[in-house]
Formats: sequence, C-alpha cells, structure tokens
Amino acid sequence: MALVKATNKSANAQARAVQQSRPSLSDLAVLLRSNEPALRRQAARDLALMSEGVPVLCEHLEHEPAVSVRSVIMTSLIQSRSRAVVEGLIRYLRSENTALRNEAIEALQDMPAEIAPYMERLLSDPESDVRIFAVNILSVLPAARAPEWLHKVILEDPHVNVCAAAVDCLAEVGTPDSIAALKQLRLRFGDHPFMIFAIDAAIKRIGGSQ
Amino acid sequence: MKAARPTALSQEAPSLTLQEFAKFCEFFYRKTGIIFSENKRYFVERRVLERMESSQCSSFREYFAMVRFETAGHEMQRLVNAMTVNETYFFREDYQFDALVSGMLPDLAEKKRPGDTIRIWSLPCSTGEEPYSIAIYILEGWDRADDFNIEIRASDIDSRVLGEAHEGIYGERALSRIPPEIRKRYFSPVAGNSFQILEELRESIDFSTVNVVDAAHMQNYSSIDILFCRNLLIYFDDLARRQAMETMYECLAPGGFICLGHSESMSRMSSLYRPRRIGDAIVYQKP
Amino acid sequence: MRMYFRDVLEKAGFIVEEAANGVEGLEKMLAGRFDLIVVDINMPKMNGYEFVSQLRKDPSSLSIPVMTVSTEDQERDKVRAYEAGANFYMVKPVRPDELEQAARLFTGRSS
Repeated sequence: MALVKATNKSANAQARAVQQSRPSLSDLAVLLRSNEPALRRQAARDLALMSEGVPVLCEHLEHEPAVSVRSVIMTSLIQSRSRAVVEGLIRYLRSENTALRNEAIEALQDMPAEIAPYMERLLSDPESDVRIFAVNILSVLPAARAPEWLHKVILEDPHVNVCAAAVDCLAEVGTPDSIAALKQLRLRFGDHPFMIFAIDAAIKRIGGSQ
Repeated sequence: MKAARPTALSQEAPSLTLQEFAKFCEFFYRKTGIIFSENKRYFVERRVLERMESSQCSSFREYFAMVRFETAGHEMQRLVNAMTVNETYFFREDYQFDALVSGMLPDLAEKKRPGDTIRIWSLPCSTGEEPYSIAIYILEGWDRADDFNIEIRASDIDSRVLGEAHEGIYGERALSRIPPEIRKRYFSPVAGNSFQILEELRESIDFSTVNVVDAAHMQNYSSIDILFCRNLLIYFDDLARRQAMETMYECLAPGGFICLGHSESMSRMSSLYRPRRIGDAIVYQKP
Repeated sequence: MRMYFRDVLEKAGFIVEEAANGVEGLEKMLAGRFDLIVVDINMPKMNGYEFVSQLRKDPSSLSIPVMTVSTEDQERDKVRAYEAGANFYMVKPVRPDELEQAARLFTGRSS
C-alpha cells in the first residue's frame, strides 16, 4: 500500500545538538557566520535569548544575504523587544539595502511602545527619506500622539514627498483636528495634483468637507 | 480597573475580573499564539472556570499558578483543549485536494525516485477529517501512489481531538460531501448512525500533539513535502503568524508546499514562500 | 498613493486592480491577466525590485510592461530597477499626465 505510517520523527540533529549543549555567545557568533542558513537561523534564535546577543544580531543583519535568516532575526528581536533592539534597528532606515530597510520598518512597527520615544527625532531627521520611513512606521503604530506628530509634519516639513506620506497616514489615523492642517497644506503644494487628490481623499476619509 | 465584586454570600455566578481575564489572555497568547479579543470574554471565562472547578482550585490565582508551574503540563494541555474550537468535515475546500493529486504530488514525484518517501502533514488536523480526506484523495486520484512511500502526519494542539481522530468515527454531517461509492469503500457503519473509517487508514496516519509557535518542539519535524495549515493562522496575531511561518519553513523540504485556508493569504504573513497556482488553488512553495 | 494611481488610470480608461505588497502582487498575477504593472519600490513583505525579479522568472510574465515608482532619484536606483526587469522608472510625486502617457505608451493604447 502506498500509505506508510511515519514512525520516527526526523530530527534536525545538528540544530538540536547545538541547542542541548547550551553554546556560549562566542560559539553562537561563529555559527551565525556558518555557510548553512539553517544553522544561522538556529544561532539567531539562541542569540536573541541573550541580552548580549541583541547587538550581535543587529550588526549581523547588514551582512546577511538570506531572507529566511533575516526573517528569523527580526522575529526574534521583536520578541525580545527593548530599547536596545530599537536602537539596533533604527540605523537601517538609512540603508541602501531596500529589503533590509523595509524589514526593519516592519519590525519597528511591531514594537509600538519601544519606538514611540524615537518618533519625534525621526520625524525631524535631516534626510527626507528617513522622515518618509518614519511616517510609514506611524501608519500602523497605535500611537495616541500620531495625529499630533503628523500635523507638525504637514505644517512644517519642506519636502513634498514627506508631506504626501503624512497625508496618506492621516487618511488612516487623522481626526477632525487634522482637517485645518490639511487645508493649509493645499496652499503650500497646490501645484502638485497628487497632493490635492491625497488631501481631498484624506479629508473625506476623516469625515470633513473639502 | 477592578470591577466591584459581589460578596461570597451573593447568588451570582463566579467570574474573572478584567485583570484576571487580561492576564490569562496574555499568558495563553504567549504559550500558543492564539489571541482572544474582548468579545470572547464569556467564552474564555466559562472554560477557565470549568477548569478551575475540575482542578479544585478555589481561586483564579491558585489555578493560574498551578498551570504555569506544573512541569508535566497536563493541565495546560487540558486548558488548551478546552479553548480550541474544532469544526470541520470531509473534503472541505476540496479544490486543494484536487491540486494535491493533479499538481503538487506529480511535481514532487518528478524530483524523487520510486521508493522515496513523500511526507504530508495536516496541521491542525482537528478530528481527522482533513488527513483522512488527503489519504482518500491520494488513493483514489493519484496513479503513482504505489511508486512511493507516502507518510501522512496529522497534528493538533488539542490532544482530545487527536483521540477522536484516531478513533475515526463520524456522523452524517461530516460525511455529507463524500460521494456514496467512496463512502462505501472507506467507511463502515457503526452504532449511533455513525461511520468508522477503515482501520487500514487509521493505522497509516501518525497522530501527534504539536504547538506550531514552539520552535524547539517543531524541530522534531523535517523534510515535509506538503503541509496543510488551513484556518489556523487566522486566530493568530502578526508576531505569532511570523513565528509559525518560520517554524514551518524549518520543517519543509526545499521545494515543499504550504496550503492555507480559502480566505487566507501569505501576503499578510511572510515573504519566505513563493505563491504558485495549481488548478484553482494558490499554494506556497519554499524556494 | 494607490488610490491616486487608480483614480488617474481609471479616468484614462484602464481597469485597475490593487495589491498591498509584492507577495499579493504575485498572487494577483497568478489569478488574472494584466497588460501593465505599476509598482512602488518601497513595499512591505516584498519590495518592488524583488517583485519584478520574481515576475521575470516566470515565462508567462516575461514581457508584461512594468513601471516602477520611487522617491529615490538616483542613477543607481534606476539602474537597479532596469536590471531587475522594469521597463520604466518614475520618481514621486508623479504627475497624472506623466502616468497616463506612460501607461498608454506601454500598453499601446492611444488617447
């Protein structure tokens, strides 16, 4: 018969051996540089359980080519969630590596309490792209101060794309208090058809009249 | 904020305070990845109170401590069993079983030699309808089934339903989608207007308890070729879903497939897998 | 941003479907036929470069025109997009006439 009962649970022997022997930080740091992605993933899981492991993992992300390993690192860091994790990931908002940057944004979005103290600083970063990514983080962050921060952006930020991102975000989290600021933004970027469209859509979403 | 409680002399039924409910949900989520929102409060409360009574704990505090610190984990298991709802039937979302025999298995067969093992995992398997459906579909619909050793594993976090799955006794409702000739071939009538699936099939499936967010536990499973994980992850939050996707990634062989439920999509969960279309099904493949 | 693009393209007579990220984009590609794809580089789960690369691996979507959109206005980002297999690269904010003209050009649809 074609159906055969599975008797032995195949074990990922190497990974389990590593786990059972309680490797040290330096052992794990070595494993993190293994050629084998599965071993790097296991090392990442173990490192995230150690407080000293967090900076090691955050540093390693930059050099990690496999999305499966980066994914496990991010998940493990999110689980650890601490200021050290946030500080270790924030640097990647400036990364040229699009995949890593977006993965860092997603991870930060999953740590609302930990990222909140950094939001104001990020929203006034000298680089416009970093300010855009900060707004992107806000779009799913359950932050009570989000509308307030976004109002400041659309009233003061000189860059059209930063303001556009903030308008999109206000369409989700804006309050009736946002409408005045949105109308004012029309005066600043009235020659951008996208901006007019986005502002009108946001106002409509919030429930005001244009 | 603590609600005012009636005194012990009152006739009101016992209940959990808001804090106790929150504490319980946080603990349960951490252990299993399953979230209960505020609107599930009555559901959760009733079951926790039932467990408290069964374990002869006079307070939630006492019960909670017991569950957390019991090394063998028996009460935790009973608690999980009480909290998980299992509703299913044979040949549910059968377009995926069609995709199994017409696409996924032939695809795998091309890369394997005759006599090789093909491993299929149903998780969660609930009371067994899914793994048995898989078995029947393969036997009825795949002409190369005899060329390979096909292992079907079936797992659930709820040990009680596994017992029922192993017994393989079902009522009319569960069997309603099975064509009569198939029912005749694989089921025999038993007492109480029920039907029992052939012993040969019951003995050919390996049933086990599994917690999909427990990475250490999931490491016991590897080289899985096809994983059915339908209508489980909808109960999880983003973090638990990420964890589940990653533990399952470890279990799958390269080129292995995951099938999600009809209304589920990998796009909100993970980018580790590539979507592929097989017949009417979108399935996800580990690179 | 998606709503805006949808609005411009629908007014130009196109039928539009949306996807929130690259994974959903690939899923939609499997379920339907499209004459043009407009994709933002910065998407969660799977970014625009990765999406286009994956798209081009599938023989059935080798020649579908892809227009990428980004805030990045540097030569190397354009090159990356073209190397991944994109046909066109636009920098935000995108003007509606620019979008419409490009869409017509790549689908062979005159006004």
